[in-house]
Amino acid sequence: MPSAVEAWSRKLHIYFGLYFLFFLWLFCLSGVLLNHPKWRITQFWPERELSTSELRFSPPRDRDDLGVAKDLMDQLRIRGEVTGSITHSPSGGFDFRAVRPGDIYEVHADLVKGEATVSRIHVNGWGVLSMIHSFSGVRRIDPTLRPNWWLTGMWRFSMDALAAALAVLVLSGIYIWYSRAQSRSGGMIALALGILALAGFVAGLF
Amino acid sequence: MRKRIYILAGDLHRHIGLFLSPFVLLFAVSVILLNHPGIPLGTPAESQARSVQVHSIPGLEKLEGMARVQHARQILRQAGLSGEIGPIGYSSRDGRLTIPVSRPGYEAVVEVTAPTGLASIRERKTGFWDSLIYLHKMPGPHLANIRGNWLVMRVWAWSADGTAWLAIFLSVSGVYLWAVLRSERHVGVFLILAGAISLVGSLYAICG
Repeated sequence: MPSAVEAWSRKLHIYFGLYFLFFLWLFCLSGVLLNHPKWRITQFWPERELSTSELRFSPPRDRDDLGVAKDLMDQLRIRGEVTGSITHSPSGGFDFRAVRPGDIYEVHADLVKGEATVSRIHVNGWGVLSMIHSFSGVRRIDPTLRPNWWLTGMWRFSMDALAAALAVLVLSGIYIWYSRAQSRSGGMIALALGILALAGFVAGLF
Repeated sequence: MRKRIYILAGDLHRHIGLFLSPFVLLFAVSVILLNHPGIPLGTPAESQARSVQVHSIPGLEKLEGMARVQHARQILRQAGLSGEIGPIGYSSRDGRLTIPVSRPGYEAVVEVTAPTGLASIRERKTGFWDSLIYLHKMPGPHLANIRGNWLVMRVWAWSADGTAWLAIFLSVSGVYLWAVLRSERHVGVFLILAGAISLVGSLYAICG
């Protein structure tokens, strides 16, 4: 008769594994694609589509750079995360970039004339898959950055949730295995081999 | 026959899962670190600089891609360094080569002045947590023509791919093992559907 802890470990192992099944596949496949930039299917960048449009807008109400960029995006019907630096000139020039998986927008606006040139780069499904893998709105070189699009924040939360679920799957799996006396020796060898192989990489000993 | 397949699937799921568990934990922990760069890791990078005399390789600046990297590795060996070599720079003005090199928890930039053969090395130990992030991001999509120039990096690339494919196998074998169980059938179907709907919904909202 399994203990209550073992029974719950088993339930959690099954529940987390099933809920995050497709999330796991998405990140596994996109991770493999990112590691093979020479594969033909991953050559999405040369096949990107470029388009440019000239649009007019009303004077933005916000004062701060990000607020102005967001206001312009609303008016220009652009959805995504503002990334990189926002630049503006004394003559009213205001340039920024917005990104979402599949699309990169370069916006060159003239705040005085109320005109904007929007260049859009659109990539195919493989490009979307590659971009979604790291779409978090943060960068290690600038820890102060935060996602500025609510969907980026939500996606980052999904990635965190998957990471936490994987940790639960691993720990519950180890507990379930360990509480069954009949399968310990083979499992111990498998676990020890995995730890040794990884420790070698982490320590840079190879 | 069905019982044999069930036992085999269970054994494979258990043993492959146990072998893979440290790798899965590495990727899980590094995701959190990548997504939250403000987390204080408590291990400030240690830097140091030194100089060594090396025999510079004539004509290295004229080479490109992997050939340039392989010749640069000879310089690194003389300096007692190993690791994955990044994009090599060359300044024709003062005949200086810049060779970035990295491995888990360590990065260095070697600047070789060709006429004198003096190599100045700036080294940085980045610590345990950074080595997890490094492994998560390597080999990655950039510098495709020179990536994997260090044997360990090539082995790691296979390991990272293997982790992804084996994780997919574990999930498929896990679904099979669950499907055989009757006790968790309804809640399991609900969770698979809920997961699929939330993923498709998120992707549609972001990319659609």
